[in-house]
This record gives sequence, C-alpha cells and structure tokens, in this order.
Amino acid sequence: MTDNILFDLRSISKRFVKGKELITVFDQLDMSIKEGDFVAIMGPSGSGKTTLLNMLGGVDQPTDGEVWFDDSRIDKLSESQLAKWRANNIGFIFQFYNLMPMLNAARNVELPLLLTNLSKKQRKQSVATALELVGLSDRANHMTSEMSGGQQQRVAIARAIVSDPKLLLCDEPTGDLDRTSADEILDMLQLLNRKFGKTIIMVTHDPAAAKFAKRTLHLDKGEFIEKELAA
Amino acid sequence: MTIFFKWLRIICKYLFLIATAPIWVPFWAVWWLLGKIGFVQFATDWAMGNGFYLVYKNLTRRPLRFFLTLFAIFVAFLIYGALTAFDVAFNAGVELAADDRLITVNKINFTQPLPISYVRKVEAVDGIAGVVHMNWFGGYYQDPKTQIQTFAVDQTKLLDVYGDDIILDPVQNTAWQQNKQGLVAGRAVAAAHGWKVGDRIPLNSNIFSQKDGSTSWDFDIVGIYTGSSAQIDTNGIYIRYDYFNETNSFGGDYIGWMGIRTKSPSLNEQVIKDIDDMFVNSPFETETVPEKAFTKGFLAQLGNISLMITSVVFAAFFIILVVVGFSMVLAVKERTSEIGVMKTLGFRSGRLFRMILGESFMLVFAGGTLGLWAATAFLGFLNNVPQFPVPDIILTPTIIMQSVGIMALLALITGIIPATYALRLNIITALSRR
Amino acid sequence: MTSSFSQIWTVILMNIRSLPQRFWMSFAAVLAVSVVVAVLLSFLAMSNGFKKTLEGAGSEEVAIVTRSGSKSELNSVLSRDIVNIITTAPGIAKNTAGQPIYSPELYVVVDGIKRTTNTEANLPMRGISPAGFDLRDRVDIVAGRMFEPGKNEIIAGQAVQREFSGFELGKTVRFGKTEWTVVGIFSTGGSAFESELWAEARTLQSQFRRGTSFQTVRIRLAEPGNIDGLLNMEQNDPRLALDIQTEAAFFKEQGEAIGGIVFLGWGLSIIMGLGALAGALNTMYTSVSSREQEIATLRAIGFSNISAFFGTLSESLVLSLIGGVVGTLIAYVFMDGLSSSTMGAGFTQVVFTFKLSPELFKQAILLALAIGLVGGVFPAWRAARLPVVLAFRGGV
Repeated sequence: MTDNILFDLRSISKRFVKGKELITVFDQLDMSIKEGDFVAIMGPSGSGKTTLLNMLGGVDQPTDGEVWFDDSRIDKLSESQLAKWRANNIGFIFQFYNLMPMLNAARNVELPLLLTNLSKKQRKQSVATALELVGLSDRANHMTSEMSGGQQQRVAIARAIVSDPKLLLCDEPTGDLDRTSADEILDMLQLLNRKFGKTIIMVTHDPAAAKFAKRTLHLDKGEFIEKELAA
Repeated sequence: MTIFFKWLRIICKYLFLIATAPIWVPFWAVWWLLGKIGFVQFATDWAMGNGFYLVYKNLTRRPLRFFLTLFAIFVAFLIYGALTAFDVAFNAGVELAADDRLITVNKINFTQPLPISYVRKVEAVDGIAGVVHMNWFGGYYQDPKTQIQTFAVDQTKLLDVYGDDIILDPVQNTAWQQNKQGLVAGRAVAAAHGWKVGDRIPLNSNIFSQKDGSTSWDFDIVGIYTGSSAQIDTNGIYIRYDYFNETNSFGGDYIGWMGIRTKSPSLNEQVIKDIDDMFVNSPFETETVPEKAFTKGFLAQLGNISLMITSVVFAAFFIILVVVGFSMVLAVKERTSEIGVMKTLGFRSGRLFRMILGESFMLVFAGGTLGLWAATAFLGFLNNVPQFPVPDIILTPTIIMQSVGIMALLALITGIIPATYALRLNIITALSRR
Repeated sequence: MTSSFSQIWTVILMNIRSLPQRFWMSFAAVLAVSVVVAVLLSFLAMSNGFKKTLEGAGSEEVAIVTRSGSKSELNSVLSRDIVNIITTAPGIAKNTAGQPIYSPELYVVVDGIKRTTNTEANLPMRGISPAGFDLRDRVDIVAGRMFEPGKNEIIAGQAVQREFSGFELGKTVRFGKTEWTVVGIFSTGGSAFESELWAEARTLQSQFRRGTSFQTVRIRLAEPGNIDGLLNMEQNDPRLALDIQTEAAFFKEQGEAIGGIVFLGWGLSIIMGLGALAGALNTMYTSVSSREQEIATLRAIGFSNISAFFGTLSESLVLSLIGGVVGTLIAYVFMDGLSSSTMGAGFTQVVFTFKLSPELFKQAILLALAIGLVGGVFPAWRAARLPVVLAFRGGV
C-alpha cells in the first residue's frame, strides 16, 4: 500500500425518491482509498454497499459531494467520458460473472481491448498473458457456458485485468461459488493485490472472504465502522 | 413415447442433412480448408477488431431464431424480386415502344379490317418514313391450344418500320423476299419448337382457311430474328401477306392494321391528324395512335396487374417487418444485463447503438441477398421453359438497386427501436435485472 | 393429480389466458397469419368470381358450334349454308311448330371506354337471333325495352353499364359510321353475357358487312349434354369442319385460362405462408423460452408433460385461428363484391365480381390452422421436454 490516494469520496450524499418517501442512502460520507489497498466492504442488505460500489465505478452519481479519482473529479463527467475513464482505469468483477455466452474464453477476455488502439497481435498477447495468470491458458478456446462457476469467475478476472487497470471493483465475487472455488478466487485477488499492486475494493457479505482483504469497512445505515484486519 | 420422438428427431435431422448435402457440403469443405490454413483465425481476429465478430455472434446467438428470421426475409425478397421483375417485363412493351412509331387501326376496333388501298395513301403523307401493313393470322402449330403470334405482313417494308427492334440477317431477309412461302420466326419461338432455317413447317389458322377448305398452310423457315435487347419479344412469326392473301378463302385485299414510322417524334401529332382526317367519313374510318399508347391500352385491358403485384409485395414486406421487428426487440431485451456489462467495461452507448443496428443490417442484407439470388435462379429457370411465350424476365439493375434501398430501410426500421433501447439503457437498471 | 384430460384442459386454459401478457409477440403472429390468409383469399375470390361468371354462361342444354380450330367465338366463321346443314342434325330440340330451336349469332368487338382506367377497351357485341333469348337461362330486360328488328338499336348488359361509360339508357353510341341507340339494359343473373352488347343479328350483318355469314350457332339439345347427333353429322359430312361442344364445356375451356391465376395465388400464398410460419415458430419458441421457469414449475408441481405439450400447441392454434379470422374479415371487407374485368379469350373484357364463399373461407382457415399446427408442434415438444430442474435454479 502506497501513500498515494487513489480514490477520495468527499462528503457524498445519496438520496432518491421512492414512491412518496425520500430515501437517504448516504449523508455526507467520507472515504479514501490508497493505491495498493485491498478493502472489503461489508454490511446488511440495504446498507448501501452496492450503491457505494456503483459510485466508485462511475456507474452512479452522488446527489451531493465530490468523487475524486487520482487528482480528477469523476462525478461530473459525461456518460461518454465516464465510459472512457472506466475503460482505462477500472476492472469489474460481478457475482454472476456476466460473461458473453456466445463467445469463448479468449474472446471474452479480449473484449475490453477492443476499446484500445492495440493491434491484433498485441491484443492476442495481452489475452494470453491474462489467461495464463488465472491459470486457464489451456481453455482459451472453450465456451464459457461450458465451464464451472470457478472457472467462469477466473475468466471474468482475466477480463478485468487484461487492460491493466489500476482498480478492481468486485461485487460479491464469491457469492455464487462453493468453498473451494471461492478460496481459489480470493487467493487470486490477493495475488493481484500483493504482487501486481492492484487496488481492490470488494463488496461481500461473507466474513471468510473479507479475511483475505487488508482491511474491512462495515457499512451500516450509510455510515462506516472500520475494523483493521491482519495485513 | 418419448423415445420414439427422440429417434424420430434424430432420423429427421440426419435425413435433412443428407438430402441437402449438395448444398452445404461444399461450404463446409471450404470452411474446413480455410481453417486448416489459419485463414479462419485470421478472419475472426480481424472481425473482432472492427466489431463485426461481436455483431455476428450476437445475431447468431440462437441459431434457430436467426434461421427463422433470415428465412422470413429471404421469402419476402424472393417474392419481391420475382414479382417486380415480372411487372417490369410486363410493362417493358410500353417502355420499349419507340417514340417514332405509330399504329393505325380501324376506328371501330382493331379487330375490324381496313382496305389495302389505304396503304398507298398513308405512304404519301408528309413526315412518314415507312409504312408496313399487317394482318393477324391467328396461327397455331399442330395443337389449337399452342397459339403462335403470327403476322402476315408486307415483307418489303417490315424492317423499314421495326428494324430497330427486329434484327434479321440480311442474307435471310433476301431469301424471304424471294420465297413467297417464306417465314421468319423469332428466336424464342424457334427454340421452343426446335425450328431451324431450312425447315418446312405447317401452320394453321384458327380464323382463316384456304380456298380448298383446309386451315393449314405450309411455310419454309427462311430466317430467325433476334431482338435488339433482351426484353424485345421474339415469340412472333412473320409470313408474307401476298401468299396469305392469294390463298385465303375470304377477306381478300383487306389488312388488319398499319405500322408506321415517322421521320421524327415531333411530327407524330401532325401525321396522326393527317392520316385520320384522310379517312373520316369513309366506310373505314381510322384511328392512329402512338405505339406506346396502343400497347399501354392493350395491357390495361388485362386489368391492373401492377396494382395486384404491388399489393402482394407490400403484404409480404409487412409480414416480415412485423415478424423481424418484434423478434429483434425481444432479442435485445433478453440481453439487457449484458448491455449493462458492456457499458461497465467502457463501451460507449453510441457504439452499442451502432452494433445493434449492425445486427439488423447484417440480418436483412443476408436474407435479402439470398432472396434475390433465389429469385434470379427461379426466373432463369422460368425463362427456359418453352411454354411461356413472353420475353425474358430478368432482374434489372434498377430492381436490384431498389432492393438494396428497401433492405436498408427495413434494417433501419427493425433495428432502430432495440438500438435506441440499448443506447438509453441505464447501467444500474440493466445490471439489476436478472 | 386429477385425470390427465382435465390436467391438459387446465394448462390449455392457463396458457391461453396468459396470451395477453405476451401481447406484442402474439400480435405479431396473428398479423402475419392474417396477411397470408387475406392474400390467399383475394386470389381465390378473384378466380372464383371469374369462374362463376363463365360458368353461369354455359348451359348443358345448349350446344355451341364454331368453325374447327377457332377456339373462340370471335375467330369463328360459319356461312349460311353450313348453318342450314348442321341444324338438320338429329338430337336437336323442336319447338311447338316442329322446327329445330337454334340461334345463329355474330360476335364482333367494338371499343368502349373503361370507367376505371378511362382508356379504350374491347367490348363484345353480339348479333343475336330471336331464338337466342330462349337459349339463355334468365334474360330479363331490367330497364327500357327490347330492340326492334331492322333498327340500329342495342341493349346493353348490366355489367357493361357498370364497367364502361357511355352506355346508359337512351344514349347513342357510334361504331364506325353507324350510330346505335341503347334502348334497354338486360341482366342474365351475373353471367358473362352481361358483359356484352346485344343487337339483332341481321342488323349487325349489314352494318359490319358480313353478308349472310354468322360466327356461331347455338342449338338447344333434345337431351341435355347429348351432342352425339351433331357430332356424327359433322364427322360424316365432308363439307363440315366444326367444333361442337355443350356451351358449358365451351366456357369451361375458356375459364381454364384463369386456372393459372389460382395456381399462382396458391403458390404465392404458400411461399408467404412459409414466411409467416417462420414468424409463428419464432413467436412460439420465444414464448416457451421466456416462460421456462413457469412451465418447469408446473411440471414440478406434477402436471404431466403431455399437458405442457398441448398447452403450448393450443396457444399456437388459437393465435393462428384468430389470424385466419382477421384475414378473412379483411378480405371480405375489401374484396367481396369488388367488380373488376379482365381480358378473356377472344380479347374481350369479361366483367366479374370477386366472390367469397363458405368453401373459400374453409380453405383459408385450414391454411391458418396448418400454420398454427406446424408453428406450434415443435415448440410444444420443447416445452414438454424441459428439465424440471429449471424451476429450481435462481434464473441463471
């Protein structure tokens, strides 16, 4: 973990109207993530952890407050600017993998590279590297729909890291996996963090998963309670 | 029971594959070869780079649905191509009628005769380049049901008037001038009956009879004419009026109508007036009209064929619009969460919009091209069937261009709604749907 | 579980009731089928109307004699002598005075202005002998009066009135140099004769310079359908080269030309039907796949897979049946009674009306149901074979 602050949420509030009620998810919340950190965010359902993750990914905007990423504000960017920013800086990992069923593993991983100017050859190289990292080189041409849950999530990780983003955002990455596969995935995330310096923010409700992170933030009714865990 | 169906299904599948093998085996072989030399990999990499691969993969996600919608489009364009070509061929007679040609008929009706003495008088009119008199012979060959368009004409004048359309070898023409029993047949009708120059054939008339009572005349085929363009009708026969007149048992010295060529189309109006004025109040009043108008009037009597064709084609397109349109909307809605994911990966909304439009374009153009190709094959087959005494029906370049335009329009209409849906889709909503 | 039949019935009802939920796709399928049905019916109505017009004109009790090989009344020529000979043949009905009943007639073509296109079109004018009126079922003068012999008077058929302009009662028309007056309008119950102008045979002969020759002879047969006497005479007399048929057979032959249209109509409809079928199949497959969970849940509860099969099949049949009915209504509203004319044999206009009949409806509905059946069978089978475990998965 360096001292460089990657993400800085300043006094963000999120409110929306549902029916006749005004729902407040956050009220003037502050949060900062340093580069190289591995943060687990836990909390009961309705605590706003998914909303928080969405805001970190530029998918959702706060009603008030500022979201700073690496010295630039991202909460006021246009949709197309955000898309570009996401492509360059973020890798997403979802609970249900969200792979394209009609593509094989290699093509799925290649998707984010279509947004870059890399040549065919360079794309192939990057894909190969990413797949090797997650240990699926021999399955590059297999259809993802024919793989196990753990394998699919590994393909998803490969896709998330293939364009070498600074930040990985994970939404319940082990939610749909059995214990063994879950551990494999969490090991991999740890590796990415410790060896490759990737900053990881992981939303989870599984305390065992949270143990893999460097620190855990508990979110309850829009407020943080921090608990330091073993590094 | 289920086992029975299972085997039935397997058997049907393999029977189908075997039966259609001549069609798919070559493609499969080529694809396999290309795969071996690495071309397939190369091509897919290239397609991935420019997005086509994704579009194609999305389109063919469910092979059955892709095939069904493709088929519906195929059917629509097959119908469109064939019927429009037919409509064009049908009206070609009107289009091809030369501007400097007129027809003079009896004012009562074109089935009434005119005296042959009129011809000399018409020839003397100012502005006339040529006059040929013609009689409808009512010919049939062997079977009364096999009617052949037969005209008894002034053989010295036929090419003066119609020489631009009817191409006859000068040597054959000379032979016709010298042989009273000579007959000049069109390429199509000669091919249909296997006639060659030098053959001697009998021809019957269903109206006239010879002085000896028989309805059969013998002719020597001295020439075969072709049309100056593919759409000129070559199903007609020309025989000599003098031979017909002297052997005919009645109607002597009468003609059916006159084909006229003016020195220039600008003179038409004056010539028409001059001719008809000459015979007003005579026992045989004339009516002279431009050939175009005459053909049009004749065709109009068959009923409004064009309207019928347009209605059917419109109906066909309507069906596929509805079917394909709804199918695409639903197909894209199914991919809502995926679209959300693509947006999180950083794909811009505009790009996704274009990709989905790309799908509808790919689908419509693939189906449309196949349909037009099938229409061409079908028409090609029809043109070689001898029973149809019509000029060749072909898909003209105009029709093809119109088809492309229609395909683009169709693709746009069916693709715009799902594409806009993807454009506007909010990531959070997309991902929260399961 | 309740008896298998009531199971099936329950699922059928459930599926059909849920159709409105999948409104747009169902609507698409209905639309596709209705268009196909409408097109088919239009063609059938057209050919049916045309056939009926011609059939109405042909009677089994009347023989028609034309010159051999002429194939239409227009082309035929019969001299007075020939007429005199053939009408002495056996098998001809006699009137009260013991004379054979026959009508020698002329058939020429004149020009009339068609109302719809405002261009000239061929119009048949028949020179009819007095006996000719008895030789047609039901000739009624519905306006004006019959023409008088020796005068340039004509009566116009109702259809001529409808399709052509200028033949109203009292109007004068000019053919060549002669003027004729329309003194009456006649109807023959909708048969092809209503598309004709009638004048006295002798008047026509003189005005059109036919001398004493005719073109056809119509003869009443002593025994309906029996033309043997006439045929024998024709074969044995070398002076006679004639085609002899019952009027019904004669017009039937002419109507066969229109058979091509029916063929074309069915051909087109089948091809379009295949397109609509693709649409129907697509709808049904989509409907099954979007309700996989529902169907699997039903099966988990205990409903048999046969009930799933029939449930889905019934959906398809209902949709296509609705489409068939809608298509029929469209065809009926737009087509039935639509009057049109086209060129018949002999280059003249035959006026006919589009006629829909219960028989045609039947054919159309059958086509719709066929589409529904084929379009439903395969998806229904897929529904029946869905693995029940789909009901338990969270949706992935």
